[in-house]
Amino acid sequence: MIVDLTLSEDQRMIEQGVVDFLRDRLPVERLRDPALACGGAERALWGELAGLGLFGLGISEERGGLGLGLAEEALVARALGRHLVSPAVLAQVAAPHFAEDVRLRAGLIDGSIRAAFANRIDDVSAHLLDAAGAEQVLVIDAEGAALVARDTLGPAEPVEGLDEAVAFARVRALSTGLSRSSAADRVSLMVSMWLTGVALAATDMAVDYAKMREQFGQAIGAFQAIKHQCADMATKAAAAEAQVLHTAVIFENGQNDTAEVAAARILATDAALANARANIQIHGGMGFTAECDAHLFLKRAHLLAVLGSNKAAERRRLLG
Amino acid sequence: MHLIASPQLDQFRAQCRDWLADNVPRAPRPPEGTAMRDFDLAWQRSQYDGGWAGISWPKEYGGRGASVLEQLIWYEEYARAGGPPSGAMFVALSHAGPTLIVSGTEAQKARHLPAILKGEENWCQGFSEPGAGSDLASLKCRAEVDGDHLVVNGTKIWTTYAEHAVWQELLVRTDPDLPRHKGISWAICDMRSPGIEIRPIKAMSGLTHFAQIFYDDVRIPLSNVVGEINGGWRVAMTTLGFERGTGTIAHQIDLANAVEGLIAAARAMPGGMDEAVAADLAKLKSEVLALRSLTVAQVSRGMHEEVPGAEGNIVALYFGELSRRVHGYAFELLGPAALERGGHDWSLHYLECFKWAIGGGTSEVRRNAIGERVLGLPKGPSAR
Repeated sequence: MIVDLTLSEDQRMIEQGVVDFLRDRLPVERLRDPALACGGAERALWGELAGLGLFGLGISEERGGLGLGLAEEALVARALGRHLVSPAVLAQVAAPHFAEDVRLRAGLIDGSIRAAFANRIDDVSAHLLDAAGAEQVLVIDAEGAALVARDTLGPAEPVEGLDEAVAFARVRALSTGLSRSSAADRVSLMVSMWLTGVALAATDMAVDYAKMREQFGQAIGAFQAIKHQCADMATKAAAAEAQVLHTAVIFENGQNDTAEVAAARILATDAALANARANIQIHGGMGFTAECDAHLFLKRAHLLAVLGSNKAAERRRLLG
Repeated sequence: MHLIASPQLDQFRAQCRDWLADNVPRAPRPPEGTAMRDFDLAWQRSQYDGGWAGISWPKEYGGRGASVLEQLIWYEEYARAGGPPSGAMFVALSHAGPTLIVSGTEAQKARHLPAILKGEENWCQGFSEPGAGSDLASLKCRAEVDGDHLVVNGTKIWTTYAEHAVWQELLVRTDPDLPRHKGISWAICDMRSPGIEIRPIKAMSGLTHFAQIFYDDVRIPLSNVVGEINGGWRVAMTTLGFERGTGTIAHQIDLANAVEGLIAAARAMPGGMDEAVAADLAKLKSEVLALRSLTVAQVSRGMHEEVPGAEGNIVALYFGELSRRVHGYAFELLGPAALERGGHDWSLHYLECFKWAIGGGTSEVRRNAIGERVLGLPKGPSAR
């Protein structure tokens, strides 16, 4: 099987449209404003995000979507990951794949019905993530995912999370009914690309800083101690990116290989965490402060690392 | 970004598979010496006779004139069929031939490309020197123009299969007064020339595959200079680009097989695979899959650009670093039993694989190239 990983002209245009929108409307700096964090900025733009076609991108035309594939969804996920976009947006992209009811699916695709993730903690509880206004919840854990109505989960109790740019709330979650479907593999692959976006953005941020910051009379990026860390960051991100895209293309052509999906998740998680840490280190004292955005990438990487995944489950899928 | 499928490609794949099933040598490849060289050349000849040599090389020089895609399909089927490494033909097929195709004169191409594809003549490399390793542009091996010849004096080192090669791609300093990158020429050296002395070097694995070479007034016709006199650096960088591209695909398959071997060995342990071992093996397996995906990405770029870019360093760095961890893991997993040589010989694979993070550019030099040429970080001392 031969895969061409070079973007087609159409794919380039789809990605560029999202990249331009995010640069103008959802820059990472927005997260410094509490009113715009925790999905606030995204909720204000929900109609425009739907208008970009994000929520029906990978849904076939006969099911009401744009008829593109997982490869295109992955490109969009990469851009959204770079901008630390709310996990609710990812839930909204994923949810139509789980919606069998025509009207529900149409509402999710046009954005009139909102979705959010409930990430299971244990048999009885889950974290709702940026779920304000969500009527549908994609309950997810390492074994599978299921779309349920928000009101089946009972009341939510807000809790403070590691990632302060995301609103966490504890709810009682379903203890059964999650199955590892092809759609669940699809969500995992999208989260992997989201993580890869975090890894790439952390690399870019570190490289930009290393070019600009001067010590000992020169840009610190000229020192191999810094340059080699940046090269390793780029390499880890490239490995995760290639694995996710390769798997996405194969997946789209009916070859859902669980081991490849698991490998993508392991690599992307490692790349996002390692690069987020290295980015803080390269920023030195500034990287340790809340004034610098470096910490946001680390916190998001930790959240996404455990969103519907754990190491033992991925390992089992990979080794069979 | 899409799956490439067509009835023509499927048919091509089936043809590759059928031919390889019937023709891949059954006899084990001799580990060293002229027996090894003869084996490698005979296998090349067999591929040529079957019409499978130089899949993407031009037809007029004996190649198949097919696309990079067909080349990749061939590699995949070759690996699946357990084809032997190109060995003594590696430099000719992966460096010298592609360099001549890009930079050689018509006469040079006509003279050398068919002889390579037919397995008649193999090549070795003469780039590194004792004083010029990572800092290749500091090379001192001197060549002076004397009439219509270059006269070479100096030494080269780390030349693999030197005593078995007919030709050498040789980098020499033709003008010591020019800036260091500008006074270098790329020449085709006949290894049978008077004045060449070869001193074999034994590697830590116990194998003696490479050598130091001494040149004492070795004469090379000026018609054997590839590119311009003093223009050899650009020619050489093209060659290294090819090496950083897809030159290691066959070895990547070996690495994937090694990981599967480790997984099988772990399962066969008394009590089965424990969680700590599973964690280590899952990491190694995911990285082997990533290496495959990185190579696919590199080949994809190759379909759209003439000369490989610096991104090939990412694949090479990943491969070199991963190789040591995969082969080294055998000792952690299998304990003292893995120390015994013979059989699968984990020691041989482990000790030999160190070369992937050193030869053709150390991991550190590759990190410099990624930092400077891919990420655009400020140049270090190498560029001053």
